[in-house]
Amino acid sequence: MSVLNKTAAVIVTFNRSGKLMAVLDALAAQTMRPDIVLVVDNASTDDTAALVQARADADPTIRHLRLPANVGGAGGFHAGIKAAYQMGAQYFWVSDDDAYPRPDALQSLHRALTGFQADNGWRPSFACSRVEWIDGSLCEMNCPRTVWDWARFVRPGSAWALVDSASFVSVMIPRWAVSEHGLPIADYFIWFDDAEYTRRIARSYPGIFVPESVVVHDTPDNRGVNFGLVDDKSLWKFKYGARNETSWRRREMGLMGVLAYAYGVRGQMRRGDVPSSLRRQIYGAIIKGLGFRPAIERV
Amino acid sequence: MSDLASHTPADPALVAHLTAGIAEARAIYELLFPTQQLFFVLSQGNNPIWAAPEVIEGPHNPRPQDLGADYLGTLTRPGAYDGAPQVTIRLAIPRLPLPGEIKQIDAPWRPMRGLGALFRASPLWYEQVRYGAEMARKRQADRRTDQTAMPLGDGSALLPAPVAPDSDKRPAILIGMHWLEMGGAEKLGFDTMRWALAAGLRVFVVASVPAVQRLADKLPDHPDLTFIRLDRYLPHHLWPRYVQRLAMAENIRAVHIHHCTPLYESLTMLRMHLPWVQTIDSTHIVEYANGGYPRISGVWSNYLDMQHVISGELVRYFRDRFHAPAGKVVLGRMLDRKNNDALPPLRLQAGQKTLHACFIGRLFYQKRPVVVVEALRALNAWAGRNGVTLTATIVGEGPYDGTLTRLLRKHGLSSKVDLLPGNTDIPALLERSDILLLPSNNEGLALVCYEAVAHGCIPISTRVGSQDEVLPDGLLVPLAPRAAVAGTVAAVDAMWRDAGTLARHKDALQAAWTRLTADPTAEEVLMPVYCRLAQGDAA
Repeated sequence: MSVLNKTAAVIVTFNRSGKLMAVLDALAAQTMRPDIVLVVDNASTDDTAALVQARADADPTIRHLRLPANVGGAGGFHAGIKAAYQMGAQYFWVSDDDAYPRPDALQSLHRALTGFQADNGWRPSFACSRVEWIDGSLCEMNCPRTVWDWARFVRPGSAWALVDSASFVSVMIPRWAVSEHGLPIADYFIWFDDAEYTRRIARSYPGIFVPESVVVHDTPDNRGVNFGLVDDKSLWKFKYGARNETSWRRREMGLMGVLAYAYGVRGQMRRGDVPSSLRRQIYGAIIKGLGFRPAIERV
Repeated sequence: MSDLASHTPADPALVAHLTAGIAEARAIYELLFPTQQLFFVLSQGNNPIWAAPEVIEGPHNPRPQDLGADYLGTLTRPGAYDGAPQVTIRLAIPRLPLPGEIKQIDAPWRPMRGLGALFRASPLWYEQVRYGAEMARKRQADRRTDQTAMPLGDGSALLPAPVAPDSDKRPAILIGMHWLEMGGAEKLGFDTMRWALAAGLRVFVVASVPAVQRLADKLPDHPDLTFIRLDRYLPHHLWPRYVQRLAMAENIRAVHIHHCTPLYESLTMLRMHLPWVQTIDSTHIVEYANGGYPRISGVWSNYLDMQHVISGELVRYFRDRFHAPAGKVVLGRMLDRKNNDALPPLRLQAGQKTLHACFIGRLFYQKRPVVVVEALRALNAWAGRNGVTLTATIVGEGPYDGTLTRLLRKHGLSSKVDLLPGNTDIPALLERSDILLLPSNNEGLALVCYEAVAHGCIPISTRVGSQDEVLPDGLLVPLAPRAAVAGTVAAVDAMWRDAGTLARHKDALQAAWTRLTADPTAEEVLMPVYCRLAQGDAA
């Protein structure tokens, strides 16, 4: 909890200027507008740069951080939070370029972070929104993970469940968490960077799920992350996911954790009838993850 | 368009906390620098106990680090005259402590790096290795640390000595604490506050170690008592100057030091500029590492008017090592005459079929909680062999909480040993316990042993400090962890098996109790000093 409330929105984008503009519209309509809207542009090749620049000319809160190359979502969030930290933000609202926050989404997250501490003394390491798909159903891939005593402080009017893992789709992180735990791992490139990061900062204290803060995630379909869904088109992402989670499990749980993970992945792929050629590639990514030990950068 | 996030009003409770912190800090520096022009550069701290103060005397050009993300703003206190020197004070106002920090600020204890496997295999052997290393360190420290009293010149009649100015304020005393947390020295510190108030002194309290100061709300609720948060806001090197200012401003006639290092460092200032201020300290334990506070007191003994100690061991320590003159070192037991009615019968009986053991103390290394559990484990085995039902209670909190719980579970003692918090009713517990275990690494004269006897419970302690003044040989066990565990079982076995031994120990405890109660109490030696000071006389 801080008497200073400077807030930075960190949006990572790549070649989705249309959706990005909708996100910027949604941010401009917030009941509590971020002081800085940092658009982290992963070297987009469409008209993103021009459109963002045009917006920035009219709205001084918008900053365009154009990266020299596409470093993936993980690299983008790493660079964005680092830049926003250096800009002096006390809160970082982190989200994708295809998630549209409802007008009170940011204010609800902020209120929950400060209200939770005022009511209970503990300071949550993050607050995450309810992420809905475009039809209003829960977005399968953005469901946060609860801790065992998630209901400890859930009460009428402040139904904030304790969670220890969330995706980078409308999550608000206080500055102290970044100071104490560092930045997301850029080397992950894509997938599991958000889970790793929120689990890391949740070591201090879990985050909270804030159902009154709602964002709409405009994804092509509403599917969860399950290795039974691996196909040729999505294989590259799943390979990153397998490598990154293996690396994290090796770090946090040792070899037994990796074996348990590999066993679970095997079961999902068997149940999903994933072709053996794709399975082999996933196993290869798991083996790669055993030796993948990216450093955590501190601020 | 709506407001930006940075314009959102802050939580009122947080604003009140910051405002109070700023006021506390201002009061300290405005007294310390009464005429200077003060610039306070304030930021929001992320530390619950320490404001990381930085004081720059003279012109100061603001630097980027003065204006970081947590910058709150500046305050200026004009100088007393044009051209007054500038002083810049940077402070990061501590945040509110979190519930976990209020409960326990220390990180959970872990075995030393590289010895985790040994601890898992045998906690007692781990303790034994640590003990060996400590003894080696002690031998080295004894050679290295200063063990002589610093000389103090009396000055010459050629030059005028400073004279106490007249004051329209009632005499006051400055009581310096280590911190306001649980502990024996702190208990005495709190007692001295009450006695000083009762004597009619105004009391100013400071603590040297930044901490949550959990006992701050237990300070006497009296208009004449003021707790000044130097521990948060003032660097130690400025304490002597602050003490001088405070003494002059508040008519402080005495300084009483309870394990407060920066007040020892203020003694030179006091002796040189305010020689009329009486200097008293109280010490408790000669610690193994470097002698601890008694050694510090010994080094400063020429600067002290009175060295109050709680045990005969310390009287001998000051006399033999620091050649303290007779009369300066004063023994005053930490006992309460009001509790000195007839000693109740000691409960343990030979051959009894149940045995309740207890441990009372902060769960820090000094109390060796791991050795406590190992002793309970050994006692449990002994009880099993002899058809005795063992139960136990461990009272205390600290970084060993988790370790204790795990060890008890590992040894199958969870159902036999209750773990209770520090606010447990200790007299009631002692009245249903047969023995008290105290395998401490060091102690002065553990008050809890005295309390145990007063409630009919027999203490068994390591042979440290002045424990031999309260316990007979048969109830003192060696300090080495394995021998301490074996000695504890042997002591219990001897008393349980042989009624004659038990009777001898009870008689010896009774005799020790009688001897101790014949000694003056701390209140009896300090109260007259406080009363004289309150009347405006030198102590």
